[in-house]
Amino acid sequence: MKLLLVEDEAALRKTVVDALCQNGYVVEVAVSFAQAYEKIKLYRYDCVLVDLTLPDGDGLDLVRALKADCSPAGVLVLTARNGLDDRIKGLDLGADDYLVKPFHLSELNARLRAIIRRRQFQGQHHIVFRDLLVWPELNEVLVRGQPLALTRKEYDLLLYLLANPGRVLTKEAIAEHLCGDQVDAADSLDFIYTHLKNLRKKLQERGADNYIRTLYGVGYKLSAE
Amino acid sequence: MKLLAATTRYYVPLMAGLFALTSGLLLLRLNWALRHEADEQLYNEQLYVQQLVAREQRLPPTLFAYQLSRSSSPRPTGFSDTLLLDPVEQELVPHRQLTFRLLPVAAGQPAEWITLRKSLVETHDLLRVVLGVMLGALVVLVFGVIGLNRWLARRLWGPFQHTLARLRAYDLHLHQPLDLPAPAIAEFAELNQALNQLSERLVADYENLREFTENAAHETQTPLAIMQAKMEQLLQAPSLTEDEATMTLLGELLQATQRLSRLHQALTLLSRLENHQFAPAQLMPVSLDQVLRDRVAVLEPLLEARALHLNVDIAPDLPTRAMHPGLADSLVHNLLQNAIKHNYPGGHIAVALGPTAFEVSNTGPAIEGEPTRFFERFRKHNAASDSPGLGLSIVQHICAFYGFRVRYDYDANPVRHTLRVEFNQRSGGVGAPALEQAASHRQ
Repeated sequence: MKLLLVEDEAALRKTVVDALCQNGYVVEVAVSFAQAYEKIKLYRYDCVLVDLTLPDGDGLDLVRALKADCSPAGVLVLTARNGLDDRIKGLDLGADDYLVKPFHLSELNARLRAIIRRRQFQGQHHIVFRDLLVWPELNEVLVRGQPLALTRKEYDLLLYLLANPGRVLTKEAIAEHLCGDQVDAADSLDFIYTHLKNLRKKLQERGADNYIRTLYGVGYKLSAE
Repeated sequence: MKLLAATTRYYVPLMAGLFALTSGLLLLRLNWALRHEADEQLYNEQLYVQQLVAREQRLPPTLFAYQLSRSSSPRPTGFSDTLLLDPVEQELVPHRQLTFRLLPVAAGQPAEWITLRKSLVETHDLLRVVLGVMLGALVVLVFGVIGLNRWLARRLWGPFQHTLARLRAYDLHLHQPLDLPAPAIAEFAELNQALNQLSERLVADYENLREFTENAAHETQTPLAIMQAKMEQLLQAPSLTEDEATMTLLGELLQATQRLSRLHQALTLLSRLENHQFAPAQLMPVSLDQVLRDRVAVLEPLLEARALHLNVDIAPDLPTRAMHPGLADSLVHNLLQNAIKHNYPGGHIAVALGPTAFEVSNTGPAIEGEPTRFFERFRKHNAASDSPGLGLSIVQHICAFYGFRVRYDYDANPVRHTLRVEFNQRSGGVGAPALEQAASHRQ
């Protein structure tokens, strides 16, 4: 998977690149509008992550350029502005999704996964994790070949964990993923606990290994070992 | 009291006092002049009588007996006042008299005392007339002054009233200086000039503040994003899996950063609402029922986790509303979140959306204090709460922006908190005219 990250803030760029590389992506970076424009014209990417506020141009113009070229690349808009307006504008222009800064890196992973899945595999994609097999387009989960019935939120939670294997996911990141970023995370921690407990129970009932680790006070982690 | 009434209050007594004083003086002076005139005439008559006697001529007969009386017995000489009975009118009339001793022409003849008299009744009448005219003039003058002042109030104070009306209607949010005209009256021109300068400074300061807020908002977002991303990366460090204490510390640090970021977003939204920075161009038809359904779906797990019973009542065939979709979502979300937050586990929430109002009511612990203060910023029911307490403040600002009315009601038995947003109450607010404008654009 080849990604282009357009971000002018060096410190943020480095961290995001690190996180994406850990997840197995090949990441190229562009630090300015001009550089980004050149790269999207010259190369093909699976997904382009565009920061809207660039020193020498508007990130939305990059989205327009990609759409004008009928590029197959997915577009994820990153915005530092108070998102309300840009979200709508970005999505209207054909961006696949948006993330408002500051965002959770695990959320970025999940969104990227979803975009790439939608764009590239057209329903042919499945996720395998240890004894788990998930067909996202069919909303089907199999544990050791046995179908597993999950509620909508439990299923979303599982997909989120699967998008971030081996990463520590904070409770807040999970809460925001499940309830939208407007939800006050402090109010929603108890329901995450409930959902995780139920998900674990269901997995164990089907004989799955216990790969969801609890990191006390911090969050959870889908352990690859 | 009006300025004019105040000046009149001083002006009229002063005028009356001065008028009375001058009238008195005039009266005295006239009286004196008239008596003096009478004295002079009497003296002239005395000289005439003396000449006649000296030339041994007879004194001419007088028309009225009282005008000249002769006596051989001595009388006090000189001028004096006396009252004589007017035989016609049968009343006492004041007279001025001059008595002198007529020296005998020939020796041996007895001396004679002659008294000459003049009636003062005309003098008195004259004085009465003068006094009457003066009083009449005073009354006319007083009413004239009051009338003039009234007329002036309308005419001369016109520019002042105009300035006042403009000041009352002034709205800093429009980013326009006052731009008052320069009237012909120097004082008002000066006032308007000073006000123009003041409003220009205000607009400039306000603009600076707005820019600062905007820049600060934008610039803080980036370091916050970096902090959050770096900490999340730090959490992934393999060495941390063994070190639970550090990991907990880091987790808490991350939570604080997220709180800061959330607070920052809420404050930015509030300041953008206050500064009317949502352009009418971004208005689009929003169906609130859909927004409500979406929000309820998103919040469902929260409701489940707290075992809250939600009852949603949406009226059929609701019209769409021209709103910013983000703000519509924020309004609905904050009202719902508020109802969830301030509730008992296992409590109830009733949501009703109709064509004219959106109402959210919930059970919950009784809240002490002034209901209007719930909309204040950083107002928390529970001081230990993690939430910044900006939700209802955002609700109020969004409602003010669109000219909606928001009301809080409290029922004590059973405890029920109700927040009601009434649409179409387009009383003031810049959002309201903008809304109508947008609506007419689409037609």
